[in-house]
Amino acid sequence: MAKIRVLIAKPGLDGHDRGALVISQGLRDHGMEVVYTGLRQSPAQIAKAAIQEDVDVVGLSSLSGAHRTLFPKVVEELKAANASDIPVIGGGVIPAEDIPFLVEQGVKKIFTSGSSIEDLANYIIDLVSPTEKEITKKISHIGIAVKSIEQSLPFYIKKLGLKLEGMEEVESENVKVAFLKIGESRFELLEPTDDTSPIYKFIEKKGEGIHHIALDVDDIELRMRNLSKNGIQFINAEPKTGAHQSTIAFIHPKSAHGVLFELCEEAGGDQT
Amino acid sequence: MNINQKDIEKKWRNSLDEILKRFPERNNTFQTSSEIDVERLYYPENDSDYHEKLGFPGEYPYTRGIQPTMYRSKYWTMRQYAGFGSAKETNKRFRYLLEQGQTGLSVAFDLPTQIGYDSDDMMSEGEVGRVGVAIDTLHDMEALLDQIPLDKVSTSMTINAPASVLLAMYIAIGEKQGVPKEKLTGTIQNDILKEYIARGTYIFPPKPSMRLITNIFEYCLEHVPKFNTISISGYHIREAGSTAVQEAAFTIANGMAYVDAAIESGLNVDAFAPRLAFFFNAHNNFFEEIAKFRAARRVWAKIMKEHYQAKNPKSWKLRFHTQTGGSTLTAQQPDNNIVRVTMQALAAVLGGTQSLHTNSRDEALALPTEDSARIALRTQQIIANESGVADTVDPLGGSYYIEALTDKIEDEIGVYLKQIKELGGAVSAIEEGFMQREIHRTAYETQKRIEKEEEIIVGLNKYKLDEEVNTELLKVDEELERQQKSFLQDIRKQRDNEMVESTLKQLEWAAKNLEENLMPYILNAVKAYASVGEICNVLRKEFGEYGSM
Repeated sequence: MAKIRVLIAKPGLDGHDRGALVISQGLRDHGMEVVYTGLRQSPAQIAKAAIQEDVDVVGLSSLSGAHRTLFPKVVEELKAANASDIPVIGGGVIPAEDIPFLVEQGVKKIFTSGSSIEDLANYIIDLVSPTEKEITKKISHIGIAVKSIEQSLPFYIKKLGLKLEGMEEVESENVKVAFLKIGESRFELLEPTDDTSPIYKFIEKKGEGIHHIALDVDDIELRMRNLSKNGIQFINAEPKTGAHQSTIAFIHPKSAHGVLFELCEEAGGDQT
Repeated sequence: MNINQKDIEKKWRNSLDEILKRFPERNNTFQTSSEIDVERLYYPENDSDYHEKLGFPGEYPYTRGIQPTMYRSKYWTMRQYAGFGSAKETNKRFRYLLEQGQTGLSVAFDLPTQIGYDSDDMMSEGEVGRVGVAIDTLHDMEALLDQIPLDKVSTSMTINAPASVLLAMYIAIGEKQGVPKEKLTGTIQNDILKEYIARGTYIFPPKPSMRLITNIFEYCLEHVPKFNTISISGYHIREAGSTAVQEAAFTIANGMAYVDAAIESGLNVDAFAPRLAFFFNAHNNFFEEIAKFRAARRVWAKIMKEHYQAKNPKSWKLRFHTQTGGSTLTAQQPDNNIVRVTMQALAAVLGGTQSLHTNSRDEALALPTEDSARIALRTQQIIANESGVADTVDPLGGSYYIEALTDKIEDEIGVYLKQIKELGGAVSAIEEGFMQREIHRTAYETQKRIEKEEEIIVGLNKYKLDEEVNTELLKVDEELERQQKSFLQDIRKQRDNEMVESTLKQLEWAAKNLEENLMPYILNAVKAYASVGEICNVLRKEFGEYGSM
C-alpha cells in the first residue's frame, strides 16, 4: 500500500511551530510520509509544494489569527493550479466561530487546541479515501456457485482453456473450492459440502451463477474499520479465514448496491 | 565556622539599614490573621552550608532573592503584555490597564513589525494588527504612547530582530515629550538567539544580529543607562515544549553568548552586565518552578562572578520577568485557566520574580478580552495583597524538598551547559540544531503522554464536558489592515522623502562599516519617519536573511 503523503505548512509570519512539528512526527509514527515546509510560507508556495510533493492532503497551522485570510488563499491557489482535489485541513488557535467560515471557503476540517494526533490520523486516512485508492487494487477472484465442481470443471478447462490451480475445502463456509487462473485474477468455483452452507442456500434461491466478487486488500482490519466508519455494513463483523489461508470479510449487498463483495487479504502479504 | 557565620549575619543586618532607607518596608510589622509576627527572614542559625549555598537575600549567590527585603518593600511590577489592532486602540487598552493599577506597560507588536515588514508588504497579508499592534512609522508610535508619560511609566517591548528601530522610536517619543533619554526606563527583548531556537521572528543571520545587539548595549550604556538592553528569554523555549531544566539551561547558555559577544566587541563586563535582564516561564509543576527560579539565580551569579570575573555585585544578579505558561492553558472550559494562572503566578512570586504577566483565561482561543485581562491582573493583586506570601522573604527557603530540587536543577543545568560548551557555545549549538532537537523531543513526548492519559489535563483528557460553553472573544477588526496600509501611504506622501532617502543612505553606509554603531543612524531614520520595513530592508540588503532550518 502506498503511504499517505501529507504536507504540513505554516502560512504567514507566525513562528510558533511546536504544533506543526509535533503533528508531523505523530503522523510519521502513524505510517505517513510527512513534508514540513518550515516557517513563513506564502499560500502560493504552499500550493506549489503540495503539487511538487504529490501529497494527499495539506495541513495548515496558524496561531497568529491570520487563518481567515490565509487558509482560504491556500485553497484558492490549489484550485488555480488545477489541484483542488488535494484537500486542505487546518489547526492552531482558531475560534469556534471562525470554523463555519473556513469550511465554507473550502477548508475540509479544523482541528483546534486539544485535538489528539490519533483523531487527526484517522481523519486523514478517511479523507484520502482508501476505498478508491487502495482497495480496488485488483480483483482477487470471482466466486461462482456450482452444484458440483466435478461437473462444472470440464467447461472451464476444456471449453474456456483455463488452468486448474488447486482445490480445497473451506470449513468456515462449508464449501469445497476450485481455483482457475485467469490473468492476474481467478475464478473460484464454490460447491456446498452440506445444506448449512451459504452456497447451498444461494443455489436453492437463485440457481447456479455468480456469487461474489473478491477484492484484493492489504490491511483488511484497517479497511474494515474505515469502511464501517463510512456506514458500510459487513456480514461478518470480524475477518475470518478463507481459502489459501487468506483473511476475508463480506460487505453486505445492502451496502453495495446489490453486489456481494468480499475483501480478501492474501496470506503472507502481496502475492506477486 | 560559627564565628564566621555570626560575622556574615552582622554584616547583612548592617547593610539592611541602608537598604531600608531607600526601600522602606510596606508596613512596620507584618502579621498573620492570628496576629503572629512574620519575620523578615527565616534561616538556620547553625548551619555552615547555609551561607555558601543559599546566603542571605540580596547577597551572593542570591538563591533567596536579589534584594534583602524583597516584597516587604515593594511588590513585583505587575506588567501585562498587551497590544492588538491599531496603535490608537492599543493606547486605549494601555490607559485602561494603568487605571486598573497596573504598574508597567508591555507592548505586543504584530508579526509584520516583529519581522521588519511594513503593513503594505506582500508578506504582511492577513497578519496586520493580529497578535499585537501594527507599527510602521514614528507616527504610529506617537499614537501608541499618546498621553502616557514616559518619565513615569516603564515600558517593556517584545521586539527582537528590529529592536534597535523600536527603541529608537521610543527615544524619539521621549524627546517629543521632553523626557531625556537618560531618564527612560523599560526593557527591549532583543534576544535573537531564542528566536532561532523557538519563536521564529528572526530576520538576519546570527553574526550581524549579534552586532545589532552589542551596538544597543554600547549605545544605551552611554545614552539610555536605565533601560534593560536585553531580556534573555526562556519563556518561548518552554512554550515550544522544553522542560524546566532545558528552559533554564538554554537561557543561561544564550546569556553567556551575549556576554561573550559584548566582551569581544570591547565592552567591560561590569559596564553592561547590570543591564541584562531575564524572562522566564511559570508552568504547572509548582515546586519545580520555584526551584528553577532559585537555581537559575544561583547558577548565573556563579558564572558571572567566577567565569567572567565580574566585580560589581549588580553584574551577578539575575533579574527576571515571569509570564505564566500560555501553552498550559486549555481551549476547553477556559475558566479553569484562571486557576492554573493563579498557581503559576504564585510559583513566580515564591521564586522571587521582579515582574509578572499573568495570562488571561481565553488565550488558547484568541487575544484576551478586556474582562479576561482584568481578571488576570486581579489575580496578581490578590496574591500580593491578600495571601500574605509577600510578607517574608523566600518563604520556602529551607524546605527540604525545595532545596533538594534547587540543587538538582542546578546540577542538571550544569550538564547542559557543559554539552553546549563542547559544541562551541550557544550560537554553534543553535546552528547545529542541538537545542531545537532537545526541545522537540520533549514536546513530542509530552503530547504522547497526554494522549495516553499518563499526564492528566483537567477538561482536556479527563473531566471533560460534553458541550463547551461559548466564550465571548476579542475580535480584531478586519478593516484594520486596509486602514493601516492607507495611513502608511499618507505618511509616505507627507514626510520629507529626501530626508528619508538620505538617512537610509547613511544607514546603509554605516551597516557596511563594522566599526560604526548603527543606533544613531537608525534614530535619525525613524525621526525622518522612515518605516520599520524601509529600515530593515536596508539592513537585509547588507546582512542577508537567515534561512529557516
